[in-house]
Amino acid sequence: METVLVALKDSLILSVKLFFIILPLSIFYEFLKGRDSKLTKRRFAFLGISGSGFIPLVTGIIIGLTYGAGVIIHSIRTSNVGKKEAFLILLFLSICHAIIEDTLIFVVIGANGIILIAFRFALAIILTYIIYRSRIFGTPEE
Amino acid sequence: MTGAAYSVIIYQRIKMDNYLPVLRRGFINGVSITFTMAKVIVPFYIVIEFIKKTGFIAVISDFFKPFMQLIGLPGEAALGLMAGYFINLYAAIAVIAPLELSSKDITIAALILGISHSLPLETAVTKQTGVNAWLLMSVRVFFSLLSGVILNVIWKLFS
Repeated sequence: METVLVALKDSLILSVKLFFIILPLSIFYEFLKGRDSKLTKRRFAFLGISGSGFIPLVTGIIIGLTYGAGVIIHSIRTSNVGKKEAFLILLFLSICHAIIEDTLIFVVIGANGIILIAFRFALAIILTYIIYRSRIFGTPEE
Repeated sequence: MTGAAYSVIIYQRIKMDNYLPVLRRGFINGVSITFTMAKVIVPFYIVIEFIKKTGFIAVISDFFKPFMQLIGLPGEAALGLMAGYFINLYAAIAVIAPLELSSKDITIAALILGISHSLPLETAVTKQTGVNAWLLMSVRVFFSLLSGVILNVIWKLFS
C-alpha cells in the first residue's frame, strides 16, 4: 500500500512539473497558429522544400505530428506540394518534430536538451538532403 | 494611408480582445493535454513501481541487456523504449522516471524516443498525408536506434 502512495505522489509531482511546461507551450502554439499563415519564406529550399511546404514543416517541427496533424494534413493536401516534396517534409518531420515539448519533458527528468535538439536537427537535415540529392525520386529540379 | 488610419490599425492589432480568446484556448488546451498526460503517467508509474518489486524487470533487463549495451543503456530502459514506441512519450517518461538513470542514459533514451514514439498513432497521421507511411515508420525506428548508438559513442569519446 505504501508503494502505491509513494508512486502516486511521485507521479503526480511529475505531472505537475510537466503541466508547467505544457501550459506556456500550448498558449504559445495558439499564438503561433494565427501567425504561421504569414510564413512563406524559402529557408528550406536547399532541402527541396518550397514556400508552400514551409508551413507544414515549421508546424511539425514546433508543434509535432499529433497536435499539428490537422494543419499538416490540410496544408499538404491543399497546397501545390508534390509527392516528392511531401515525402521530404514528412521525412524531415519523422526525425525532428515537436522539438520543444519532446525535449522539455525529458529535461524535466534529467536529459541534456541542447544535445537532443542539435542531434535531431542535424540528423534530419543530413537525411533529407541526402534523399533530396539522391536520384531516388528522379533528378532534383533546379 | 494616413497616420491616423495606421494608428487605428495598430490599436486594433494590439487590442487585448484579440488575444484573450487565443490565451483562453491555449490555457484550455494546456489543461486538457496535462489531464490526458496524467491519465497515462500516474497508472504507469504505479505499475512500474510494482513490477520493480516483483523482479520481473530484472528478467526483461537481462533479456535486452546485450542489445541495450550497444546503445549504452541499462537493460531496464528497454521497457521505457517499448512504452514510448507503442504507446506515447508520457508512458515512456512514467516508466523511465522511477528507474533513476544517469543524465547520459536519460539523454540517450530521450533522443531515441524523440525520433521514434507513438508509432501506431503517428503512422496513422502520416498515412493521411498520402506518403509511404510504413517506409517512414521503418526509417524512424532504424534511425532512432542508430542515433542512440552514435550518441553513446560520441558521449564516451568526450567524457
